[in-house]
Order: sequence, then structure tokens, then C-alpha cells
Amino acid sequence: MFNFLSTETLGIIALSLRMTLLSTAIASIIGVPFGLWLDKAHFPGKRFIVLFNRSLMAAPPVVVGLVAYLLLMRSGPLGFMGRLFTFEGMVFAQVLLLTPIISGLVYNAAHRSAANIRAFAKTMGATKMQTQILLIRELSNDIYFAAVTGFGRAMSEVGAVMVVGGNIRYHTRVMTTTISMLRNRGEIDVAIFLGVVLLIVAFAVQLIAGFLRKREHRTDENF
Amino acid sequence: MKIFRLKKDFEKFSLNIDSLDMSEQKIYGIIGPNGCGKTTAMKLMAGIMQPDSGVVDSGGLTARDITMVFRKPYLMHESVLKNLLYPLKIRGITPDMQYIEHLLELSGLQALRDTYALTLSGGEQQKLALMRAVVFSPKLVFIDEGFSNMDIESIAVFEEFILKMQAKSKLTWVITSHQLSTIRRLCEHVIFMHAGEVKAQGNTEEILSSPQLPELKQYLQFV
Ligand SMILES: Nc1ncnc2c1ncn2[C@@H]1O[C@H](COP(=O)(O)OP(=O)(O)O)[C@@H](O)[C@H]1O
Ligand SMILES: [Mg+2]
Repeated sequence: MFNFLSTETLGIIALSLRMTLLSTAIASIIGVPFGLWLDKAHFPGKRFIVLFNRSLMAAPPVVVGLVAYLLLMRSGPLGFMGRLFTFEGMVFAQVLLLTPIISGLVYNAAHRSAANIRAFAKTMGATKMQTQILLIRELSNDIYFAAVTGFGRAMSEVGAVMVVGGNIRYHTRVMTTTISMLRNRGEIDVAIFLGVVLLIVAFAVQLIAGFLRKREHRTDENF
Repeated sequence: MKIFRLKKDFEKFSLNIDSLDMSEQKIYGIIGPNGCGKTTAMKLMAGIMQPDSGVVDSGGLTARDITMVFRKPYLMHESVLKNLLYPLKIRGITPDMQYIEHLLELSGLQALRDTYALTLSGGEQQKLALMRAVVFSPKLVFIDEGFSNMDIESIAVFEEFILKMQAKSKLTWVITSHQLSTIRRLCEHVIFMHAGEVKAQGNTEEILSSPQLPELKQYLQFV
């Protein structure tokens, strides 16, 4: 019987959070600049990249996990690093999963308003650097939303971390893989308990993020 | 500001200005029907849009000296005051708060100084944008239908403000407006555009009182 009030459970929750935060952070560091760049850049095949990015946003986590697995396995291109079935391996898989989601959402937001912001920056005589800072500040609500969406996805997905992490006790066992395991074992009640904990933790993180964030303003078209 | 053989093509519109001289420090007006290319011409001259060919000679002015106000201005996701101070901030200029207070009072925005700028009404947004454009003492100011949402009294106040500012420190203004009263009060020289071309120009009274050109006659017929 699974003991759900043990240090093991706490360890699982902590590992989930650590993995999710780290993969969201890395995916944001890659995805936000990429999304902004994609809006600004003009090159042949841009439409294709945008469409490709959009399809990756909906990629099934298991498939992404499989790709990460093939890259990380001993005979794979990244096999020399020996990161299959490790924490780093799971983060790697989640970064693959989240980066297109974050870059896609940021691209959409930039596509909507970046041209206006850049034109405004020009009228103000802003330098390139100042324009870049303004752009990020003006799009910060959207960037925040993209990161939070990525975080939610990373927290709740089971496919990628299962394939790459392997649900190894004390090592790569996170909340979602535990729930899936418990269900297989028939320990439905504990699975449900952990599921509720997962929801509460996810909600708490959103709550904290919401507090840290300055108040969001609602506006209507007003002309 | 002088332009030569300026060309800009869109799918269904093409702008063609052979030459235009606005190098004196006075207030120029551009008039013409909707879609005749006033905004496009201004964006090209202000350096916000690049022409397909031709020369824009700003007579030694840099992007830091030139500004433009749009009919629907871009306001940052910040307070009224922060919007107003932005051009000073990016120039590293410490604001003269007495002058800032004066500008806020003049535009009737004192009580709204800490309000989130995007909640302002259309007219208030235009007032803020106008003040923000002149707060850093630019040398060349483009105002594209910058009064279109203001009430009649406010328009008079801003006309007065522009005339006073012009009397104190000579600069060059280029203004578009469908209010011919505004054009009459502010502009010494007026340029009439039609279908992407400059069709007539000269002393404002002469152009408006005794129009020769059929297109101009038609534009003025309901005044
Ligand atoms: N970015 C653009 N792409 C395509 N067409 C444009 C663009 N900007 C302006 N136009 C077209 O150019 C014409 C002139 O526009 P504009 O300069 O805004 O006219 P005005 O300010 O005199 O009303 C319009 O028919 C408009 O649809
Ligand atoms: Mg226009």
C-alpha cells in the first residue's frame, strides 16, 4: 500500500516542482526570444516555420518523449552524456515539449502588437536596445501567460517524463508517473488523492505567480 | 525636411511624390480625402516606414529629433505620468516637474496622472500622446489627425498650445486634419494630396479660399 503522507510523497512533489520550474525556465529562455525574432525576421520559408511551430504546440507528449528517448539513448546522438532515465533527461524532454508552446504563444502576441510597439518606439527616438526592452515590457502579460501555460503543461503531462524518466523510485518518479503507476496497481483511492494534491499544487503555484505579478488591467476598445 | 521622387507601392495604392520642401520652421498642413496617402506620406517622412525608392532628406535631424503622433496613439501599459515621461527617460533627461505639471494641467489630465493609460477615453489618449510627443522638445513633429477625438474646447486649447510653443521655440510641424478650421488657424502652408500625389500647395488662405483644381474643389465643396 502506498503511503501518501510519507517523506517519499513529499519528495515526489518536490521533484515534480523542481523539474517543472526548471524546464519552464529553460524553455522560456529559448522560446521567448525565438517567438519575438520569428515575428520580426523575414526569410523564405518563414511561413513553414510558423506552421511547423504551431503543429509542435499540439504534439503528443509521448511522441516528444520518444524523440527525446531516441536522442538520449546510449547509441543516440546525445547518448554519450548518459542522461537517459535521469532528472536532466526528463527536463530535456520537457524543454522539447514546452519550447514550441512558449515560442508559438509569444509569436502570436508579437504578431498582434509588435509592429505597433516598434513604430511607437521609433516616434519616441528609442535606440535598438531601448526598443527591445520596451517590446518585452509591453508584451510581458503575454510572455507571462505563455510561461504559465507551459508550466501547466509540464506539470500535468505524463507521457514524456514516463518514456525518458522511467518512473524510477526516489530518482525520476514524479507526481504524474506515480498516479499512473498507482492506477495500474489498482490503488485508485491513493491515485485520486495524489491527483487532488497535483491540482492543489498547480493552483498554489498559479496563485503565487499571480501575486508576484502586477495587477493586470482590463480595457475595452474606447475610441 | 525635403523629399524627392518618393515612391511607395501597396497592392491597391501607390504613393508618388515628386518633390516636396518643408524645410522652414513653420507649421505645414496636409489635407486630402480618406485614403489619399496622408498617413503613408507622413510615416515615410518620419522614418517609420521605408520607401520603395526616393530620398527623404531630414536636413541633419536624427531620429531623436523627429516624432509623430498617430490618430490612434500607442500608449504603454503604464500610468499616464509614466507615458508622459518616457521620451525623457530614454534620453536620460531629468524631468522638470513644474513643466510636466503644466502640461498635465493644460491637457486636463492632472487628476488622471496615476491612472492606467489604456483606460483613458479616445480624446484623453490623444491629449496624452500629443504632450508626450513634445515633452522632449523635438525639432520636427508630425501630427496625424491628432485632435480627431477631442472635444471642441480641447481642440482650441491644443491649437493655442502649439501656436505658443511655435512662437517660443521655432520648430517644424506637419499636421493633417479634416477640420479645416484647425488647418486655417495653425498652418501657414498647406499641401493638398489626391490619389497618392501632391496636387496643389501654397499659402493656406489662397489654397482654401480660391481652389482651382477640380479635385480640390470637390474636397472642399461641403465646407
Ligand atoms: N500597410 C499597408 N498595406 C496595404 N495598403 C496600405 C497600407 N497602408 C496604407 N495602405 C493603403 O494606402 C492608402 C492610403 O492610406 P493612408 O496613407 O492611410 O491614407 P490617408 O491617411 O490619406 O487616409 C489606403 O487605401 C490604404 O488602404
Ligand atoms: Mg490617415
